[in-house]
Amino acid sequence: MKLSLLFLAVGFLLVLFQTTVFHLLPLGPIVPDLTLILCVYWGLNYPTVGAALGAFLLGYSVDVFSSPLLGLNAFAMSLVFLAVYLSSRCIWIHDSVLSAVVVFAAACVKALALLMASSLFLSSDGLWRGLLQYILLDALAATVLAPILFFFFRRGQHYVEAAAMPS
Amino acid sequence: MFAFARRNQVLLSSCLCVFLSLSILAAAANGRLRADPVGPLLLALMRPLQIGAHAVVLWVRDIADLSARLGGLASENRQLRERIQDLEAERNRLLEVEATNRRLAELLAFRSQLPSASLTASVIGSSASTWFRSLTLDKGSAHGVVRRMAVVSPAGVVGHVVAVTSRSAKVLLLTDPHSGVDVIVQRSRARGIVGGSLDNGPVMKYVKRSEDVEAGDRLITSGVDGIFPKGLLVGTVAKVRKKSFGLFQFVAVDLAVDPSNIEEVLLVPPQDAPHKEENQP
Repeated sequence: MKLSLLFLAVGFLLVLFQTTVFHLLPLGPIVPDLTLILCVYWGLNYPTVGAALGAFLLGYSVDVFSSPLLGLNAFAMSLVFLAVYLSSRCIWIHDSVLSAVVVFAAACVKALALLMASSLFLSSDGLWRGLLQYILLDALAATVLAPILFFFFRRGQHYVEAAAMPS
Repeated sequence: MFAFARRNQVLLSSCLCVFLSLSILAAAANGRLRADPVGPLLLALMRPLQIGAHAVVLWVRDIADLSARLGGLASENRQLRERIQDLEAERNRLLEVEATNRRLAELLAFRSQLPSASLTASVIGSSASTWFRSLTLDKGSAHGVVRRMAVVSPAGVVGHVVAVTSRSAKVLLLTDPHSGVDVIVQRSRARGIVGGSLDNGPVMKYVKRSEDVEAGDRLITSGVDGIFPKGLLVGTVAKVRKKSFGLFQFVAVDLAVDPSNIEEVLLVPPQDAPHKEENQP
């Protein structure tokens, strides 16, 4: 419970970074999706009910700040968590490089989920131009950052779990 | 039954979240989502953090600019460098004050041309996603901001307000692929819709092949969408391409306002129902 709340607080901090600090970086319109990396980490290393709710809330908070329609990112993030969780039940992934590959795949799943929801609920004729390029750039940015963030998440999780254990 | 639920609680809760988000999405799309208890709370909680982080970002940017400017003076002696640093810092501060003053004076002059209920607001945050282009403003319903308010600057149209809380507002930028503003070509009066796209910037859509549009033409708001007053500059035509088939021609647009550099904006009430909008987050 404590760890779930801590992770959620980290998630909101990442949303804050995405809305402010990352616009300082010379990345053009690309905003590295740190919340997606956290969501994948939850699916792989911390698959709990709290994490499932956390993925939903993180997506919802991105919606509150960015989306033209509430629920777009909440749907995409929940779907990503579900997909990663289901994969983690079949394949044991603990290697940093493999985790980055999972993040890349998760970014593609998120993009497809956003596209699907946008096509269903919004006028999306402006969305199709240069789509593949955007999906790839977004996914690559997340993939590059994934090993670093996974390292910090893992260290943080071990630290909190060790502190919670009775001596 | 309970054993099954207990064994698959993560799977069940994930599926529940997917369905919950889909139902929120469907309700929001149909306009049935009247009250959103989490969004305003989240925005209220994040507002001071955003303002703080934004200030830090500006400070870091200033420092980066300053250090870049001082890079060429490495060969100067220490005393001169300190002196130059002091002068640069002072100059930077004064320039910033002067630039702000000029911007606000322009904004004030521009505001006098708009309806009297117009408001000024500062940008405190940008989009959190690659897929959407939006801004967060420091004014909300407590200051008189309502949904569908036009967001403009002296240079031209920026976007429109899509969500409002008591102390902040979310603006959907013209560069967003889901955005659109009804425009006319100032020279030939040809009509179209300017909206964003993900790759090659904003485009003017639905322009018939027979319409007279040329590169360099100025695009202004038509006023028929009920959001933007008529005659505001949206941008200029960058490129026109007619394929050998199809009903419409392709028109690329250079927007008059670069949303990434904007700091203050003016909010103009919607033209169709000026004071009847409900403040819906």
